[in-house]
Amino acid sequence: MSTFIQLVLSGVLIGSVYALMSIGLTLIFGVLRIVNFAHGEFLMIAMYGAWAISQLFGLNPYVAAIAIVPAMFLFGAIVYRLVVSPALDKPHLVVVFATMALSIFLQNAALMAMTADLRDIPPIFGRSLTIGPIYLKVELLLGFLITILCTVALQWMIKKTYLGKAIRATVQDGEAAMLMGIPVPRIFLITFAGGSALVGLAACVMLPLFSVFPSVGLNFVLIAFVIVVLGGMGSIEGALFGGICVGVMQSLSSYYIAPAFGQLFFFVLFLLVMIFRPNGLLGQQGAATVGMNE
Amino acid sequence: MRRLLRLSTMFASLLLATTMSAGAQEPIKIGVLLPFTGPLAKNGIENWEAMQIAREMINERGGVNGRKIEYLQGDATTPNAAISETERLITKEGIKITTGSFASPIAIAVSQAAERNGAFHWETTGAAEIITRRGFKYTFQVGAPARKYGQAAVDFVFDDLAKRLKKPVTDLKIALLWENRAFGKSVGDGIRAYSQTKGIKLAYDEGYDQTATDMTPIVQKLKDVTPDILIAISFPNDAILFQRKAKELDFNVNAFVGVSAGYSSPDLRDSIGDSVVGIFVADFPPKVNANVLKPEVKKVAEEFYKRYEAKLKRAPAGHAAAGFSAIWALFTEVLPKAKTFQPDELREIALKLDLPEGSLVNGSGIKFTNFDWADDPKDAGQNLRASIGVWQWTKAGNEEVYPPSLATSEAAMVPLPKWSNR
Repeated sequence: MSTFIQLVLSGVLIGSVYALMSIGLTLIFGVLRIVNFAHGEFLMIAMYGAWAISQLFGLNPYVAAIAIVPAMFLFGAIVYRLVVSPALDKPHLVVVFATMALSIFLQNAALMAMTADLRDIPPIFGRSLTIGPIYLKVELLLGFLITILCTVALQWMIKKTYLGKAIRATVQDGEAAMLMGIPVPRIFLITFAGGSALVGLAACVMLPLFSVFPSVGLNFVLIAFVIVVLGGMGSIEGALFGGICVGVMQSLSSYYIAPAFGQLFFFVLFLLVMIFRPNGLLGQQGAATVGMNE
Repeated sequence: MRRLLRLSTMFASLLLATTMSAGAQEPIKIGVLLPFTGPLAKNGIENWEAMQIAREMINERGGVNGRKIEYLQGDATTPNAAISETERLITKEGIKITTGSFASPIAIAVSQAAERNGAFHWETTGAAEIITRRGFKYTFQVGAPARKYGQAAVDFVFDDLAKRLKKPVTDLKIALLWENRAFGKSVGDGIRAYSQTKGIKLAYDEGYDQTATDMTPIVQKLKDVTPDILIAISFPNDAILFQRKAKELDFNVNAFVGVSAGYSSPDLRDSIGDSVVGIFVADFPPKVNANVLKPEVKKVAEEFYKRYEAKLKRAPAGHAAAGFSAIWALFTEVLPKAKTFQPDELREIALKLDLPEGSLVNGSGIKFTNFDWADDPKDAGQNLRASIGVWQWTKAGNEEVYPPSLATSEAAMVPLPKWSNR
């Protein structure tokens, strides 16, 4: 029994970290209707940033987030201006290839600048918390809390603030929103930059857990795609739900069936969801953007 | 006017000099296929640096029979890229000799493309058995085949660890964990078969995906098994994740034997610090007892280690030392005997090589075969004298501990202290 509890708890905690990483992706998808294939590389860059800050100033990544999140916002804005925005009114494939090219470019630029060495930060909290036979890593618990806080804050922002209302209006009907005086291009820019900033936050949460190297994004970006689809594309609480689902499923199937099946399982689920509920488990018919258009 | 005349005379003589010297010693061009980018780039680049040092050293000595060595790089990130890069080098650049390629999947692809285009492939480190099992004519695998890694690990358990743990081998609980791609699976298969012949049944035997991001289920399963010894085959990132998770969940073993790639990588130490001390690694030896080396090889080895450490600020890992060893053997044992540098001629020279152990910097010898393994009549071009040993991470770096002939030190820290005492 304690094994089961351990597996479920570990799955929930790691899943929430996956979720945090996926929220930016789902936000960008929900509003701009594009998939950012360079999402994993954004994560990689932000992890390097947090790592560099910890090396230069001895700050832990949770503190480094104060600098990384705005820096990634800026980075996202620049990428939007240079790569995404020029491709937006072209056929859909253009933006797919543009972000893919960006992903390859960033990976190789990182390889040149940082070499392929794996970089780490020293452990922040020495030992795990133990509750009887259950071990919980403090960094993972923190990650969980940050994810919950972030989801709640984002939901509040989307529902209550002017910016949030403008985003929802843009999602519902871009042209009508524009006629009502909402600067849609700027909303796009802010959303893309905001999504990137969220990846920055995820990177700060992940650096104590994972090494950073130029291709680290590849290990996570597929998981992020699965989560976004599972949770309902564009839905923020869906991402949280999807992340935890993937985490727990990975954990249980790896233990009870075989470690090599951990990934197989959630990709099968991914396929099933695509076939039977293409709007995601929490998605609504015809609206890929539950979190934003209630 | 006079100035112009002088200048043009100078220019003309310079031109003459370069063309003459170029005619006298046209460089020998070798295609180096390694993963320079992508997920395997880390080890690929370390191999490249080791090979560069070999090239510099040989060129400083006047090259091979007066001809300098020149490398052409091919970025073999994935098997597909490896094939197209190899073909590019052979068909567009006219390369007749290829080498590389660090990882098994890359080696499989490169050797295939080289064979198809009639080029001579000198594989330095790729280990998968299939590299030499396809009946190819021009592929020579200087490094050890995958089964040898596993055998070294199992032999070490039998000959050394069991005594230190004061248990008969049959009472030892041995667990095997492997990443499920070409290398991990190949080594894992070898260990399973070899321990069976020794009358051992593994207490745990499972593969996992190399890109796994959460090791909790695996560690939890191993905790249920409570093995005495864990043999693990991983790449750097997953080895680090595993060790961290083992610490987090307080999973302890009496001895930990990692196999190659992940466990031999300096990144492991950079990442988990002194927690690495005490872990054994079955791999190409990064450095062997200098007494086993031939005197002239000893000098080459010293120079290589010095240059590598000066260049990369750390000692070479086993695969980098193996990359150097193999390419140095090509420069000093194969190419000097060649006249036409055609693949058929190089093949004949390679097949005639008979170098005892201690002839290569990492303690290996060279004797290729067409026919050695009983179960495998087509295993052509496999080096029977490739040495694989076991070394141990220490506070200062690493020490070769097995087999005794190559050892620089004795195995220590058996049983391994629990995480709470590390």
